[in-house]
Amino acid sequence: MIEYVSVILPYVTTILLISSIYAVFALGLNLEWGFTGLINFGHAAFFAIGAYTTVMLNISGCPLVLSVAAGVVLAGLFGLLLGIPTLRLREDYLAIVTIGFSEVVRYILLNEEWLTRGPFGIHGFERPLQDVIPYQYYNTFLLILFVAILGIVYLSIEKLVRSPCGRVMKSIREDETVPSALGKNVFSYKLQSLAIGSAIAGLAGAMLAFYLQYIDPGTFKPIETFHAWIIVVLGGTASNRGTIVGALILWTFFSATKFINPYLPFTSHQMGAFRMIMIGLLLMLLMMYKPEGIFGKKEELALSD
Amino acid sequence: MERKRNSHYLIDPDPVTLMDILSVRNLRKHFGGVKAVDGCSLTIRAGTVVGLIGPNGAGKTTVFNLISGFEKGSGEIIFKGRRTDNLPPFKVAQCGMVRTFQIPRALTKMTVLENLMLAPKAQAGERIWNVWLRRKDVKEQERQIKEKSRHILRFFEIAHLEDEYAGALSGGQKKLLEMARAMMIDPSLMMLDEPFAGVNPTLSQKISEYIDELRGGGMTFLIIEHDIPAITRISDRITVMNEGKILTEGAPDEVKQNREVLNVYLGGEG
Ligand SMILES: Nc1ncnc2c1ncn2[C@@H]1O[C@H](COP(=O)(O)OP(=O)(O)OP(=O)(O)O)[C@@H](O)[C@H]1O
Ligand SMILES: [Mg+2]
Repeated sequence: MIEYVSVILPYVTTILLISSIYAVFALGLNLEWGFTGLINFGHAAFFAIGAYTTVMLNISGCPLVLSVAAGVVLAGLFGLLLGIPTLRLREDYLAIVTIGFSEVVRYILLNEEWLTRGPFGIHGFERPLQDVIPYQYYNTFLLILFVAILGIVYLSIEKLVRSPCGRVMKSIREDETVPSALGKNVFSYKLQSLAIGSAIAGLAGAMLAFYLQYIDPGTFKPIETFHAWIIVVLGGTASNRGTIVGALILWTFFSATKFINPYLPFTSHQMGAFRMIMIGLLLMLLMMYKPEGIFGKKEELALSD
Repeated sequence: MERKRNSHYLIDPDPVTLMDILSVRNLRKHFGGVKAVDGCSLTIRAGTVVGLIGPNGAGKTTVFNLISGFEKGSGEIIFKGRRTDNLPPFKVAQCGMVRTFQIPRALTKMTVLENLMLAPKAQAGERIWNVWLRRKDVKEQERQIKEKSRHILRFFEIAHLEDEYAGALSGGQKKLLEMARAMMIDPSLMMLDEPFAGVNPTLSQKISEYIDELRGGGMTFLIIEHDIPAITRISDRITVMNEGKILTEGAPDEVKQNREVLNVYLGGEG
């Protein structure tokens, strides 16, 4: 029994930790795509900007809270910067530009060694209250912290999407001609959505760094953007609750496949591919039997014209 | 001196420019070889209802698109004394006009009530920080807007559908929703593209009366309509378009007698 607790508990804690990080990350995307209809294929870039800004500032002596704040703000600013030239154009331009941006960011992180230490990555930065919390309880503390952050982000986004501001965002998702004809500055709302979504990804980046204690450019491959999309689609587009559940399902699934790896005739590399195949199958099944996602509203899907 | 005295007399030989809410000069829009709008000029006096009629493809909707800023062509558009032809649609709308679309644009995955509540301009809660900083104002305003929405929904006889997704409405109901949403704004100029098409007769009658009432309150209307009896009944003036040009303009009775109009549009002997 004791052994059971001592094995299972850390395992569950790990799943919850990583799920809460990805839930925050995907909530940012859900605001952009689920509520505003923006197609961002470079969400991982903002994840990276948040993480790198936080840890780089911190190792050069900046207090941790300020470092995180800077990471969040910088990720949001890059969202603005990317949105200004693209969001006035047709919607697919944002998709194309964000894919490119995401790779550019990763190559900069990889090649500008004087700044980012390149492929060696960064470790040795501070973690929240690391001197106060005893080591054996640290992950539990981190989990409480992350769940609290997730709760705040979730409640804030819920409040936003139910406000008149969120109503304008949803109308843009539906048909931006309508809000334009009613005198709403569509461009400005799209920009705000992208900036906030990106800032939230930046916050998730800082969380990821605290959890991993080490980051390198490989941490932020395009697959991370894809993970966020899977989470949003799985949970149900435009459902914040669904996004959280989606994150939990995805990471439970990932760790479960790790768990059974020893019983399968795969190398860990093959296992990675196998997992993606499984995810693909899962999504196909979802599309066949519950295309609106777990928490999505069926009417909303059926009504698209 | 002479001029000043003249202005005391209430006879004005040509339209008093101050009272022109909209004036359009030499408007042009070509789509490839199609001259959709080909040198249109028209003037609308504040507080009147102007009907815009003409055969299919005459360019009426394109005129609407140009005035509301959704299409850019050439020519001059002056709305309430301000050039608007180079403004984006939302800025034109903010100047105080609202338009509906011939094919209704319901926000399908939003409820009927949400469709209406979106419309009013300058809502406090549309500014993101106010959602947190001015909770009370936002809440109070939401209450008022909801009340007004319900009032208008009742008028258009779709109040029982307020919680339905707009995508679930019938074609005619979407038309009503489109109009109801426009009525949520109190614009100086309301442009309706075929408001009576697909709407049942009793409701058409009711809408006509409502337009009349709003005109009495000082609102100006520009209305595209193929329902000739209805449009002649509510209009003060009628403009007829054909092949991108203005054919004639005048009081409804004059226009109905016009030979050219009979030929190209109304048909028969009238
Ligand atoms: N976006 C467009 N691209 C190409 N041609 C267009 C476009 N919009 C309108 N046209 C053309 O311009 C002409 C005028 O169209 P418009 O929609 O203004 O007519 P209308 O007077 O509103 O007709 P209806 O009474 O049938 O609604 C038509 O010949 C149409 O084919
Ligand atoms: Mg038309």
